[in-house]
Amino acid sequence: MNDREQIAWLARRAAFGLAPGELDRLAGRGADAYLETLVAPDLHGIAAGGDPWSGLTFSDDPTKRRAEGLALAERWLAHQAGTPRPLVAAMTWFWHDHFAVSYAQVKSTQPFSRYLTLLSKHALGDFRQLVTEISTDAAMLIFLDGTTSTGAAPNENYGRELLELYTIGIGSFTEADVRAAAAALTGWVVRPRDEYSTLFVRSRHNTAAQTLLGKTVTDVATVVDAAVHHDACAPFIAAKIAAWFLGPDYDTGLVAGFAKVFRDNNLALAPLVRAILRAGLDGAGGELVLAPLPWLVAAQKALGVSLDTGTAYRYLTAAGQAPLTPPNVGGWPGPAAWLGSSATATRVSMASALVDLAPATSPVLRAAAAGDLATLASLLGRPAGFTPATRDALAAFGATKPTGKAGAAVTAVALASPDLLLA
Amino acid sequence: MLSRRTFLAMAGGAAATSAGVGAAVWAALVRDHVDAALAGASGSVASELPAASGTTGSSGASGASTAGHVLLVLQLGGGNDGLNTLVPAVGRYRDARPKIAIPEAQLVSIDTPGYGLHPALFPLRGRWNAGQIAAFEGIGLRAQTRSHFKAMDTWWAGTDGATSATGWLGRWLDATEGATPNPLRSISLGTGAPALIGERSLPTVVLSPAQFALRLPRTTDAKAVTAAFLATAAPASAAPWQSAAQSAIPSALDAIAVLDRVRLQAAATADDPSASGPTGATGSGAVVRAAADSATSLLQTAAGIIELGIGTRVILVGISGFDTHSDELDRHQDLLADVAQAITAFFDRLQARGKADNVLLVTTSEFGRRVSENASGGTDHGNGGVQFIVGSAVKGRQVVGEPALDRLVDGDVPIGIDTRSLYALGLDWLGGPTDELLGARFDRYGLL
Repeated sequence: MNDREQIAWLARRAAFGLAPGELDRLAGRGADAYLETLVAPDLHGIAAGGDPWSGLTFSDDPTKRRAEGLALAERWLAHQAGTPRPLVAAMTWFWHDHFAVSYAQVKSTQPFSRYLTLLSKHALGDFRQLVTEISTDAAMLIFLDGTTSTGAAPNENYGRELLELYTIGIGSFTEADVRAAAAALTGWVVRPRDEYSTLFVRSRHNTAAQTLLGKTVTDVATVVDAAVHHDACAPFIAAKIAAWFLGPDYDTGLVAGFAKVFRDNNLALAPLVRAILRAGLDGAGGELVLAPLPWLVAAQKALGVSLDTGTAYRYLTAAGQAPLTPPNVGGWPGPAAWLGSSATATRVSMASALVDLAPATSPVLRAAAAGDLATLASLLGRPAGFTPATRDALAAFGATKPTGKAGAAVTAVALASPDLLLA
Repeated sequence: MLSRRTFLAMAGGAAATSAGVGAAVWAALVRDHVDAALAGASGSVASELPAASGTTGSSGASGASTAGHVLLVLQLGGGNDGLNTLVPAVGRYRDARPKIAIPEAQLVSIDTPGYGLHPALFPLRGRWNAGQIAAFEGIGLRAQTRSHFKAMDTWWAGTDGATSATGWLGRWLDATEGATPNPLRSISLGTGAPALIGERSLPTVVLSPAQFALRLPRTTDAKAVTAAFLATAAPASAAPWQSAAQSAIPSALDAIAVLDRVRLQAAATADDPSASGPTGATGSGAVVRAAADSATSLLQTAAGIIELGIGTRVILVGISGFDTHSDELDRHQDLLADVAQAITAFFDRLQARGKADNVLLVTTSEFGRRVSENASGGTDHGNGGVQFIVGSAVKGRQVVGEPALDRLVDGDVPIGIDTRSLYALGLDWLGGPTDELLGARFDRYGLL
């Protein structure tokens, strides 16, 4: 990859794509500098931008539940496309898939927006702190039944997922560990009528010392310590983030090195993510299929337009990725799901709706109308050009002078092509 | 890992395509096939498809031709609570569930001693007593765990522990696929497609039939734009995921054509006064109204696909919500009511069209739930579960296995019946080669 290709690679996988002109601006300082500003925005004077949720109302009125959820989703999509710290947003998106919580169960935007803020705050921060705070987060307590887990009858839902999905992975713990974690985590309640604040109620807590992964645990802090300092945790998290950015077929021989970086930095996430993206720039990345939401955000960014909230929500739902509502506690399914008939047809529909919104003066449509496929590919984040099949199809279609707004149909085919589905 | 499995499947499927006739030509072939099937008045495409090969010996489908048989798998995602579904008439059940046991007076009595149905399953009583439904108790795979993901992987693979890149139905599709892969032979509606993943067969995956349509840019020539989309599919790339993404385009267009036809057909039926009538256990197959992604609605779409006769042999319908850790009484009531209405309306409709005898329905779910209730008015993940097998060919009115509440293992119903017995019945129905695909011979318990 040359420098522009490296920048585009980072932007596609770790920054929700590129706005028109952004590639040229970034190319002035080079891919290494871009990686540093992504990973350590604080050190490079990049402001966080405003609170994405400011001005949203939290009525907790069941009749407004849907409208408020849509408003939250709209703000989040806009934030992903517009934030000056796109890797923080990209990692927040990763953590939403990792610590998957569904609005369908939480049912109120107040705890849900706070859950997203928590993920964002620690997105590139301290993993131990992230796990600690998510363990008593109101949305998570509601989602995985922590609020009804008592000392007398612990609910194992969160305790199991903490070990299996969030920290060490299957095969590294026993059923006894699940029971121990569940017992030690009991006692937390959520108070919807007090702005969804959380409270530890001693009388609901199982005070008996438990043995979890060989350590004695009694509360959230000791449970989280036992899990995140277990030998399996660093490689488990490193492998998951590596697959997220490098694609499922990356060289797994790299995991041990990534895990060492993670451990050596006391489970700080920024050095781990830097090491993974660095390896990707050096050629360790394989093919990566984009999920519908990041695909849509990148397409909107490239065209400078946004679908209206209801439309975006309807399409993403049809594609299998309704915002704020992962299908289960494991997050969204793997890449093959995004090649299914539903996801494929919906991408065509979203691409069509987007080009209808885009003005004919948009650089993307102008390049498409002019038959300048090299520029079109570059504006869509592929400075190395389209693959031969897509290029030939676009050239042949463009040569027929398609009816409709100039460049619109060619752009729609490009957006929905296999090339744009792969990051 | 799922991603690895699906990678192999997609790569295998795409490779078969490119090695054969090229993606675009392949797409055109399949489209012609679909169009021909849809245009044909008789709808007998299934008989033109290559017959399942190597079926002699292991098929238990009593010698009858299996070429037109359809298997419908209804996946109850989340781990259905078998004990509150097919309720055993024993005191230990009630002792373990002081709050959420189904009161004896509410149970639906059936002509099988020792059990009653959850009240929401009342619509199934007629078929049960008519001998068209059988159940397995204490069914599962020994390698399954209380993890949703491990358990689902195990159920999808059907291997009891050994890692498998393919699903149990994907292996059947591979073994019986014709020279040109036909993505419409297997269709997944809703969640749960991994069971269909094979090395070279390409299932059609539709998450939500109600929202499955194509919108093209305004004022453009639809035919020209569609052709341009299709053109990006060829020539196939050597990169496996790129190639798989290319194959997805013609598959999606084919699936849209089929489901459009199903919708048209449903609309025509709705307008036909002779087809209207009451729904339910004694209904005549009228159009049923239900929430778009309910089991009821998805099984109506499945019935429409079966009626089209486009060679679809396997339909997997996935619904979710059975992970009832809390508030189980209300949630389970709604879920089972949907399941009962779905199965009833599905068979009623096919019966009205004379197609019910070609269809076998089996349920799956990743595990049963704990025998004891938890403090949240729900049940946590357990082990052995309950599954049903439904169809006119079933030797029903019987429960195979037992909940063994006097011999719990770690608080769970022990596994007494191997899941692969259920799979063997499904694969026999399709024509096999069952034992070869499952790697051993599993007891069918004489249910077909």
